[in-house]
Amino acid sequence: MIKLENVNKVYRTKTIETAALKDINFSVEKGEFLSIMGPSGCGKSTLLNIIGLLDEPTNGIVNIGDTSLPKYNTRAMAQFRNKQLGFIFQSFHLIPDLSVRDNVELPLLYRNVSGKDRKMMAEQALESVGLKNRVTHFPSQLSGGQKQRVAIARAIVGNPEIILADEPTGNLDSVMGNEVMDILLRLNSENNTTIIMVTHDENMAKKTHKLMRLYDGQQVA
Amino acid sequence: MIKHIFTLIWNKKGANSLLLIEILLAFIVLFAVLSFVFYNTDRLDDPLGFETENRKYIRFGELDNLNDSTRTFALEELKRQLLDLELVEEVGYGHQAGPFSGSSWCSGNNDLGYQIQACYVVVDEDFIPANGMNIIEGRAFSEEDLNANYQLMIGNQTFMKESFGEKNMIDSIIPYDGQDTKIIGIMDEFKYNGEFEESSGRILLLRDTAYNGFAKFTNAYLKMDPSADVAYEEQISKIVQSTLKTSSFSIQDAPLLRKRANMQTWISIVALLSVCLFLCINVALGLFGVLSYSISRRKAEIGLRRAIGAHSGAIVQQFTMEVLALAGMALLFGIIMAVQIPIFDVVDVPDNVFYRGIIYSTIVVVLVVVLCALYPSIQASRIHPATALHED
Repeated sequence: MIKLENVNKVYRTKTIETAALKDINFSVEKGEFLSIMGPSGCGKSTLLNIIGLLDEPTNGIVNIGDTSLPKYNTRAMAQFRNKQLGFIFQSFHLIPDLSVRDNVELPLLYRNVSGKDRKMMAEQALESVGLKNRVTHFPSQLSGGQKQRVAIARAIVGNPEIILADEPTGNLDSVMGNEVMDILLRLNSENNTTIIMVTHDENMAKKTHKLMRLYDGQQVA
Repeated sequence: MIKHIFTLIWNKKGANSLLLIEILLAFIVLFAVLSFVFYNTDRLDDPLGFETENRKYIRFGELDNLNDSTRTFALEELKRQLLDLELVEEVGYGHQAGPFSGSSWCSGNNDLGYQIQACYVVVDEDFIPANGMNIIEGRAFSEEDLNANYQLMIGNQTFMKESFGEKNMIDSIIPYDGQDTKIIGIMDEFKYNGEFEESSGRILLLRDTAYNGFAKFTNAYLKMDPSADVAYEEQISKIVQSTLKTSSFSIQDAPLLRKRANMQTWISIVALLSVCLFLCINVALGLFGVLSYSISRRKAEIGLRRAIGAHSGAIVQQFTMEVLALAGMALLFGIIMAVQIPIFDVVDVPDNVFYRGIIYSTIVVVLVVVLCALYPSIQASRIHPATALHED
């Protein structure tokens, strides 16, 4: 499903060169739930961005599905992200000026789905995260856990095959964090959705199928 | 996407309302100025109706130093002596109103069913050739007309059309200013205050020895040979001084008067267009600033949109359309307000002036908005999604 071979990422400035990722090799099969752990600045988010086609590796091969990264142009990558990937972020990234439903509909806007279908699909996604009664609310009217559930609804509304979650429980207390984790586990088991999750929380990581540890940009486990 | 954009605008209506008002005000000011410019420049196409090239005007006023009989004699003598000069081709007289005199004498009546309203100039029989005026129907005044039984009139096209429609009125007798007046000819237009003057009803009345005696004239109109230079004015001046027994007169160059008369309107047009340009620059800078600020505040949103499937073109499209939609609403309000003027005939100006004002103001506002929206939008589309997502 996802395969990375000898992936390196180097950030260069005029005076300094920083290796963010060094020779990363791993693969994730369809339906697997992988968690990535490591201290701050070890390259977890960089790795997630590369898998999510938001960033390019300096060298190495990234295969997602049947296609390797260099075969995509930017427009094709945008389409791929829209159809195959769902993103969940630590800080939710909900648009404050849009209602909960409008936020969840966002990925469908870039697919030319009709307004009626968008509404229906958004409400279904919100129902699956237990927020159907909050469709007309705005993000400022929600708790942190509810915001993250809206973000999950937005990630799953287009039925992606892969969900990339960057510290989804990082901004939540343990109760809300567990609620969010339960939803992710349910998506993984019921829908067979492949999930890659960056986390600092050992307890959360233990609930996933596979664990990868990074240290200073290198894969240590 | 359109609905999505209107949702975003509506949900930020507080912040957007100021931008909307700014665009609306810019449209209204542009509409007013452009309508003024069109109204004036349209009149440039209408003929002036008289020549100014190689013409000089002598303004001598009412000659209070002379009594009626000596004044008449003096003016006849002046004309004779001026025509004796080698480079003076024609000399005609007129009373206070006339080319670039700055005064108008107007009168009207609705006797016998004629709705007549016009400004008139009392002239002598040589006024028309001296000013190179064109008679398009009927005939000009002649010396024989001085003993006519009626007051004689030559009207311009606008006067004839406004007063009589398409009816042929040559040799008709009409009441005008309390006298039976015979129309003997139709002249071209007669915009004696300059090119920017609106074509309106103008008539020439031939001097009448009994009523508008020769002695009433205050201006002489000279057609000069092209070779007459400024120094030649000195000879004319000496003749005027000796015949009219006064030094209180001026000799004016007609092309210069024409230029000055037009200059006032040109200055107004340029001043107003400068104000408009300043306004457009202000609106542009305002829009540019607001958009740039808005984009810097929405970096995370841009990153998110890129992550969930928006390519860079979609980002440009979205930000540009947001501003265009806002401008569209402002323009809609503005156009609804502006069209009331021609629909309800608020002012006596041709409707097409306002419609053109609306069209061109709309084009200018849309261009300013698009140009100001494009650059920040393109900048927004270049924001790296991974970087943007980590800015909060």
